[in-house]
Parts: sequence; C-alpha cells; structure tokens
Amino acid sequence: MSLEPATWLLLLAWGIVVGVDLVSVPQAMLARPIVVGTVAGAILGDVEAGLRVGVLLELFALDVLPVGASWYPDYGPATVGAVAYASVVPAWEEALGIACAIGLAVGLLGGASLQWVRHRVVRDLNMRTDDLAAGRSAAIRGLQYRSIGRDAVRSAGLTLIALGLAEAAARWLALDPGTEHTLTLVAIGCGLAAVIGGALRSAGRGARMRWFVAGAAGTALLLGIA
Amino acid sequence: MSRLAALRRLYAIQGAWNYERMLGLGMGYAAEPLLADLARSNPPRHREAVARSAEFFNSHPYLAGLALGAAVRGEYDGAPGAHISRLRTALCSPLGALGDQLFWAGAVPASVAATVAVVTLGAGPLAVAAFILVFNVFRAWVAWWALRTGLESGTSVGAAIRQSWLPRAAHLAGIGAGLAIGVAVPLVAVWYLAPFSRSGVAGALALAAGGVIAARLAGPMYAAPRFALSALAAALLFRLVMR
Repeated sequence: MSLEPATWLLLLAWGIVVGVDLVSVPQAMLARPIVVGTVAGAILGDVEAGLRVGVLLELFALDVLPVGASWYPDYGPATVGAVAYASVVPAWEEALGIACAIGLAVGLLGGASLQWVRHRVVRDLNMRTDDLAAGRSAAIRGLQYRSIGRDAVRSAGLTLIALGLAEAAARWLALDPGTEHTLTLVAIGCGLAAVIGGALRSAGRGARMRWFVAGAAGTALLLGIA
Repeated sequence: MSRLAALRRLYAIQGAWNYERMLGLGMGYAAEPLLADLARSNPPRHREAVARSAEFFNSHPYLAGLALGAAVRGEYDGAPGAHISRLRTALCSPLGALGDQLFWAGAVPASVAATVAVVTLGAGPLAVAAFILVFNVFRAWVAWWALRTGLESGTSVGAAIRQSWLPRAAHLAGIGAGLAIGVAVPLVAVWYLAPFSRSGVAGALALAAGGVIAARLAGPMYAAPRFALSALAAALLFRLVMR
C-alpha cells in the first residue's frame, strides 16, 4: 500500500474530524461508518470499497446504544484504516474479512481511549474547582477547549494506528483467495448477527418488534419473488 | 441574550464530558452567551449563575437546550439558586430518557438503516449525503426548538415538554427504527452474499444465526465486535492449519 503523502494527510484529517464528531463536537453523524467509509473511499479513489466496508462496520455500529456513561467502540478512525486496506485489494470479496478485523480491533481500542480522555478531563476539572465555584467563565472555556483538543489528539493517534495496521496487512499478509473469501463470509455473518441481535434486544416485545419482523419478512418475500 | 451563539455552543456540549459533572461543563460553556446581559446588570448574581450552570448535569445532548433555556430564564427572573439547581436535576432523567428514545434508539438507527437499505439498492454516495443533510436539518431544528421552549417556559418547562410533540415522536421513532432495520437486513444479506457459492452463503447465515443465539444466551456478557474478532481468528487459524 503506497499512498501519496497528500492522501495520507487527507485521511488523517478525516480521521480526526470523525473521531472528534463521535462525542465532542458537532455530533453530526459524520462518525457513522457508512459516512466515514464513503468519504474515505472517495479520498482513496474507490468509493465502492468505502461503501462495502462502511456498510459492514455499520452493521456493528447499529448494535451500539451510546447511552449516558456506557462504554462503546469508536468506529470512525477505525473505518478509515479498514477502507484504506480494502482499497488496495483488487476485489471487495477478498478484502472485507481483514478490513473488518482492522475496523473492529481499532474500534475497540477507540472505545478504551475515550475512557482515557474522560479521566483526564476529571483530573483537569479537579485542578480548577475553585475557579468554577467562583463562576469564572474563562475556566469553563479553558477546560472545554483543552478537552476537545485532547480528543483531536486521541483521534489522530487512532487514525495513525488504523492506517498503520492497513499498511502492514497490505504489505505482509499474504493469504490465498480461498482464505480471504472465508474471512469475508465470516465477517458478513458476524455483521448480520450484530445488527439482528441488536435489533431484537432493543425491540423488546412491543410494536417495535412487530414492525421489525414485518419489515424483514416483507422484504425477504419481495426479494424471493424478484 | 445571544441565542445563536448558545445554539452553536450546544453542538459542543459533550466537549468536556466527564464522570464527575457529565454534561455540566458543556452546559456552562453554552450558557455563557445567554448570561452575558446578567453580567452587566447584576455581576454578583452572574457569578453565581455561571457557577451553577457548570454543575453536574446529564441528559441527552440534543435536548439539553430545554434545561439550559429554562435555567437561564430562571436566573433572569431572579428565582432562588437552590430552585434552579433542583430544576436542572429534575430534568436530567426525563430529557435523558426521551432523547435516548427519540435519537439513539429511534431517529439515528431508523435513518442509518434506511440509508443502508437505499445504498444496497444502488443509490451510492448520494444516499449517504442525503442522510447527513436530512438528519442534521432535523437535529438543528430540534436544538433550536429546545432552546426556545426552555427560554420561554422557564421553571414550567416540565409541563411544556409533556404537552409537546416529544413523547409521541419518541414512540414513533422507535417503530420506524424497527421497520427500517427489518427492511435493511435482507437487502444487506443479498447485497453481500450474492457473489458467493451456496455453501458459503449457508455458512455465513449459520454463523449469523449462531451469533444471534449467543447474544440471547450470554446477555450483557456478549459483545458483537469480540465475537466477530474471535470468529475471524478461528477461521484464519483453521484455514492455515488445513492448508
């Protein structure tokens, strides 16, 4: 995988934007894998690879409910690396397994790194409690900007790790097509399990479950007829 | 009062999210432009208001404007500080529950699943661009409505929320999410599995069924990414051994 320096920089910048978007600012859904994948694919000149990887990782992201203080993976920068790998493999059927592994591994690391940022904010906060109690707006602004800056650094680090893993896999992982196809099928099966499992869990037994079943059965029927 | 500046800052309300004050610092950051007039008319009260604005607060970030507006209105109306703090605390749970239902479990999965479904039908990047545009227009409108309603209602914001469109929309968004994910699942399966052999498709679907059963049996212990990474590692090992 030999990317132009400009492409590397663009991917890094995009990884920072989506990493910060997840929690800090502006939470505009840029961090959704389907969005990250499409844009990363466009940067790499392979939108098809971006969509294929983005939709697959989106199946895992749909399983996530980012409620309150819960722990969840950060798939934004992870998807950048996954798409970078998929874009250098000739066919998506051979790329999705390894791309998915890169995305999931870095996504989990991203979830852990969010906890690190949150603990660092508490440390900063405890050093400014007197200023906050005295109603000094500058202290609030300072803490806010510092935290967002730290999140940007976290996102940059994650993106570099994801791109590094993609580079290493593209350069040194020599698998036969049969193995690559098997890994892709495993990734697709696990993605489907994630989205169906998440939907069943959040649907409960009420109207939402009925509409989920109706949507799935109706679409399956239409596809069967077609 | 600069409502637009406050609205802009509400987009960064989770910028300093932490385990002690949660959204508190972000609320203080968004409150600053709204409290600017108070700094000129009543500086001691302004300092108290700023300190209060950054205290512990937790809710859904997109609906925090309701609490922000109500608290700021209370500060200008001269409500007792303890009363404003109680109001903020009382709003945490309902705004969190409604926002989680409306956005995290409703509008977000519904719109993402609809986008995924349309992409599998061949819409490509245009569908993704439309998703970002539509979602953010809706989100911006909700943020503006929330801030305006909070500022207009003040300490009676609870009644304003009960009588608003929010509870009904939260229920409908959940149903929409169920339907959209239901429609997307078969489309995604066909989109990905069409090029593979029958045995490959059967294997992938069996693994999907196994994953769903594992999730039901293991409950909160199950994590989809770990399950997938384990399955990928096992498949790779099996292929390398069999070669």
